[in-house]
Amino acid sequence: MSQLQARFFTENKKYVVDDVPFSIPAASEVQDLSNVINKLLEAKNASHTTVEFDFLVRGLFLRTQLSSHMETEGISTEDVVEIEYVERLTAPEPEECMMHDDWISSVAADSEWILTGSYDKTARIWSVEGKAVMTVAGHSDVVKDVAWVKRDGLTSLLLTASLDQTLLLWEWNSERNKVKARHCCRGHTGSVDTVATDPTGSKFCSGSWDKMLKIWSAVPTDEADEVEEPGDRPRKKQKTQQLGLTRTPLMTLSGHNEAVSSVLWCDSEEVCSASWDHTIRMWDVETGEMKTTLTGSKVFNCISYSPLCRRLASGSTDRHIRLWDPRTKDGSLVLLSLTSHTGWVTAVKWAPSHEHQLVSGSLDNLVKLWDTRSCKAPLYDLAAHEDKVFCVDWTESGLMLSGGADNKLYTYRSSACQMDVGA
Amino acid sequence: MEESSKRSEQRKEMEKERKKGEKKRRKEEEEEEEEILIFNHKSAEKEKEDEDLSDSEDSVFSGLEDSGSDSEDDDDDDEDLKVDQNLSQQVKKEEEEDVQSSLKKKDEEEEVKRDEYEHDSSDEEDIRNTVGNIPMEWYKDFPHIGYDLDGKKIYKPIRNKDELDDFLDKMENPDYWRTVQDKQTGSDVVLSDEQVELVKRLQRGQFGDVNFNEYQPQVEFFTQEVMLHPVTNRPADKRSFIPSLLEKDKVSKLVHAIKMGWIKPRRDSRDDSRGRYYDLWASEDTSNLARHRMHLPAPKIPLPGHHESYNPPPEYLFTDEERALWEQQDPVDRKFPFVPRSFSSLRLVPAFPRFIHERFERCLDLYLCPRQRKMRVNVNPEDLIPKLPKPKDLQPFPTTQSLVYRGHSGLVRSISVSPSGQWLASGSDDGSVRFWEICSSRCLKTVQVGGAVKSVAWNPNPSVCLLAVALDSAVLILSPALADRQVVLSSDRLLSAPQEAEPIEGDGLVNWSDTEGEELNQGIRLKIQHPKAVQQVAWHTKGDYLASVMPDHSSHLQVLIHQVSRRRSQNPFRKNKGLVQSVSFHPIRPYFFVATQRSVRIYNLVKQDLTKKLHANSKWISSMAVHPGGDHVICGSYDCKLSWFDLDLSTKPYRMLRHHRKAVRSVAYHRLYPLFASAADDGSIIVCHGTVYNDLLQNPLIVPVKVLRGHVITHELGVLDVTFHPTQPWIFSSGADATIRLFT
Repeated sequence: MSQLQARFFTENKKYVVDDVPFSIPAASEVQDLSNVINKLLEAKNASHTTVEFDFLVRGLFLRTQLSSHMETEGISTEDVVEIEYVERLTAPEPEECMMHDDWISSVAADSEWILTGSYDKTARIWSVEGKAVMTVAGHSDVVKDVAWVKRDGLTSLLLTASLDQTLLLWEWNSERNKVKARHCCRGHTGSVDTVATDPTGSKFCSGSWDKMLKIWSAVPTDEADEVEEPGDRPRKKQKTQQLGLTRTPLMTLSGHNEAVSSVLWCDSEEVCSASWDHTIRMWDVETGEMKTTLTGSKVFNCISYSPLCRRLASGSTDRHIRLWDPRTKDGSLVLLSLTSHTGWVTAVKWAPSHEHQLVSGSLDNLVKLWDTRSCKAPLYDLAAHEDKVFCVDWTESGLMLSGGADNKLYTYRSSACQMDVGA
Repeated sequence: MEESSKRSEQRKEMEKERKKGEKKRRKEEEEEEEEILIFNHKSAEKEKEDEDLSDSEDSVFSGLEDSGSDSEDDDDDDEDLKVDQNLSQQVKKEEEEDVQSSLKKKDEEEEVKRDEYEHDSSDEEDIRNTVGNIPMEWYKDFPHIGYDLDGKKIYKPIRNKDELDDFLDKMENPDYWRTVQDKQTGSDVVLSDEQVELVKRLQRGQFGDVNFNEYQPQVEFFTQEVMLHPVTNRPADKRSFIPSLLEKDKVSKLVHAIKMGWIKPRRDSRDDSRGRYYDLWASEDTSNLARHRMHLPAPKIPLPGHHESYNPPPEYLFTDEERALWEQQDPVDRKFPFVPRSFSSLRLVPAFPRFIHERFERCLDLYLCPRQRKMRVNVNPEDLIPKLPKPKDLQPFPTTQSLVYRGHSGLVRSISVSPSGQWLASGSDDGSVRFWEICSSRCLKTVQVGGAVKSVAWNPNPSVCLLAVALDSAVLILSPALADRQVVLSSDRLLSAPQEAEPIEGDGLVNWSDTEGEELNQGIRLKIQHPKAVQQVAWHTKGDYLASVMPDHSSHLQVLIHQVSRRRSQNPFRKNKGLVQSVSFHPIRPYFFVATQRSVRIYNLVKQDLTKKLHANSKWISSMAVHPGGDHVICGSYDCKLSWFDLDLSTKPYRMLRHHRKAVRSVAYHRLYPLFASAADDGSIIVCHGTVYNDLLQNPLIVPVKVLRGHVITHELGVLDVTFHPTQPWIFSSGADATIRLFT
């Protein structure tokens, strides 16, 4: 058996070949098949330039010889094999390196600006090109998480969560480059480790070391909420610490037995939180009730949700990235484990425009780019960091970011990502 | 030869007889001579027979030879005579020759047969021609062929037949095919029908005699059955039925000698019963001894195997290595006392040089055979290993190093985790106490205390945030302000306790003082000055009482218990019971554990008496940890042992674990998971699973599950302290390499 009948197809109109079965050697690998497709395209279109392709057999990337791949996957070699091909994602290249004064704890980016939180108690705003725009200082302790709330025109709202148990809602005017603390969100009794804004930008949710989740209004007002002061607290001291108007939570979601490590909004009514108590919980924001619980066996450090494939990705301390289906009721089904990291997985992020790709950061100094169709090994290892990686992000425009304990924020861009976005 | 020897014997006897009795001498001599004569005669007869036999054989063989040579000669003659004859007849002639020769032979054989029964014809000649047994070709050139009895020439028959005549003769003469030429006379002879028949029978390989039955029934003469008639008809000898007078005489003489007592019966030398030698073990299997329970049978010689064979199979022979090993070994250790050797035959086997030696050994075996039965327990070693679950089934437990907390510059002697599990405090010889964020290994706070920190202990009460630090001769209470404001305030309230309580216990032992200035800014709130160097601090679960240890051989002031809220100190012990190594409060009940060098004492704090004393079978206890349930204690010791005490079971260790190679420095229990760990100077941390059952009948299950390595051994010191995370199955260790490591 040295020849196989294969039919090639692709989603990309640019690279369509005739829908006829070809006889190809069974021992051919990705490079051979790529050459075959390129030959076919050249025959069709003289102006074709060689493109590297990746091949999928029944939804899994081909990484070995075709015959051995089919043997391991249990695909019959008698029938015509349907092989999908996509343009190969080129290795993401580090673009910018933004130096901070201290460890970077968090990063949030959109198409124009990058917001980073740092252990030097400040948050910073950078342009995508790597120019420091603004330093947001106001917290009395380490900034643990940052988030964009809303950007309309020149004024933006942004959030910083800190170890000093508060969150600050800032208003930033990019034209005048002025930042103003609008609200100081008080209520947590432990360090606020995570914050997430809902899709509409009207609310945000924070998770803290005190095991609580709190929902807050993200709309800036000019009035401070009423706070019941503890009787013995010196009022004067509080005044001096105050930065912006005090805001109290709309709702408190309690149920976790350990610190909440990561929180996100699945949609505008649903909040998902990961905790050190080995669970991921779904909460209904309207009623404040817990909907489902996904139970793992290790501490969860981070979660990410992709509305494209409707999967949750979780990074935990046992070095695995696990994919979950949040809609399952029993809540214990791990769809897939991505194993390659050698340290705690501290950050995961789905690609906003690609349903199969995600990026992860780990304490083993590596950032890895994954494709769920090739779960055995990551697509690329991004080994730019020299110390622990704490945060990763992936913007709509295909820019990947990672920051860590080496005080550096790296941005990467993959050429194919741009292509995808363009398409 | 036989005869002669016999004769000589007889002669000797004869002479004896002659000496003994003179009377009958003459007669005897005559008889003897007679016998000799008979013998001689016999042998002579035998010889004669032999000679006859050989003669007859000779004649027979010679006769056969003669006949053979005759026939050959005839053939030659025929050839010569028929040289001129036509070639075409040659084949036919040859057939004829065959027939003729066989016929001739037949004749001869018939004659021989007849001879056997009638008369000897061995040297009878064919008297028709008197030339004798000579080649007939000698008469080739003569008209005659020989001479008859009367001396007249026998003329060859006139042979004027040419080939044509021959042919015509062949065609016309019906007896031509049976006509043969007689070589002796040269005349033609026509064979009769009987002769032709005989020739044909012989050609077919049958007997010449028609009447001879070659399949006649065989008569079995010599069978085991006794026949009525003897095979040989020889008459029996006279002496076979006449009693021998000579023998009678001899017997009578012997009988007389015995009667007279001249001949004594020979003593049986083998019958040495109860003499010098006797079989020690003779009646052992039948006697009452054999039924005795502790009866020991004589050791048996093992049966010889292939090794002892004179020609063993090659696999039993020694190879060069085996031989070298054999020669090298001590004789006691050798598998065999000899080297197996191979000989092609038993004749070549030399004398066994070790024979005497071996017999001696055997005697020793018998003589010195053990008189006491050795009780050997037949136990399968596999059964001795306890049935323990696999470590895989006992997860979770820490398996890999996840984080390294770097920042200290001296060896880190002590670590402690905050009750919330968020912070880790560490005290080091570099004079600083550091506070780390566990999840990121970030050092958030460093407090310089100005001295090598011996011990740190986080207050276990979650509603306060305080850290006790032991350095030199002082205990510091730190408020790191790493918690909620409420918690910080409540801990401040606890520290700013009623001042009036102080003078009550003002015995000058301990000096409580508030700190000021720089120290206060750093978070140091209280300083408890001790008279001696403090080695360890330990909190009570409620977080109000604090015990400090000042090891001292010669003083009863080794342990102090402080009440932080009232700023009081007391010395609970009036006597010195040994060098105190470590103290601990019972997590639930009012008990106090004090580990001295050799033992652990448990005191009831309410009744103020000694409840129990645990004897650790080790030389020097280094550390102690109390199970969160309070019923179990583990102790690490400098002689590499870890002992687990079950307080309900015994004061002796329930289990000793000797997995470490060097001194155990620290032991710890997990608060929630059934885990405990020990750290040693060999740089390893051994994590064990230790399930404790509520059922009092079931003993704790202890399974070592993981050896964690990571610390670099510096100055002969490895891991100095080990502690578990309060909620996760994680373990922290601090080492002499100035790092703290987290294993998850």
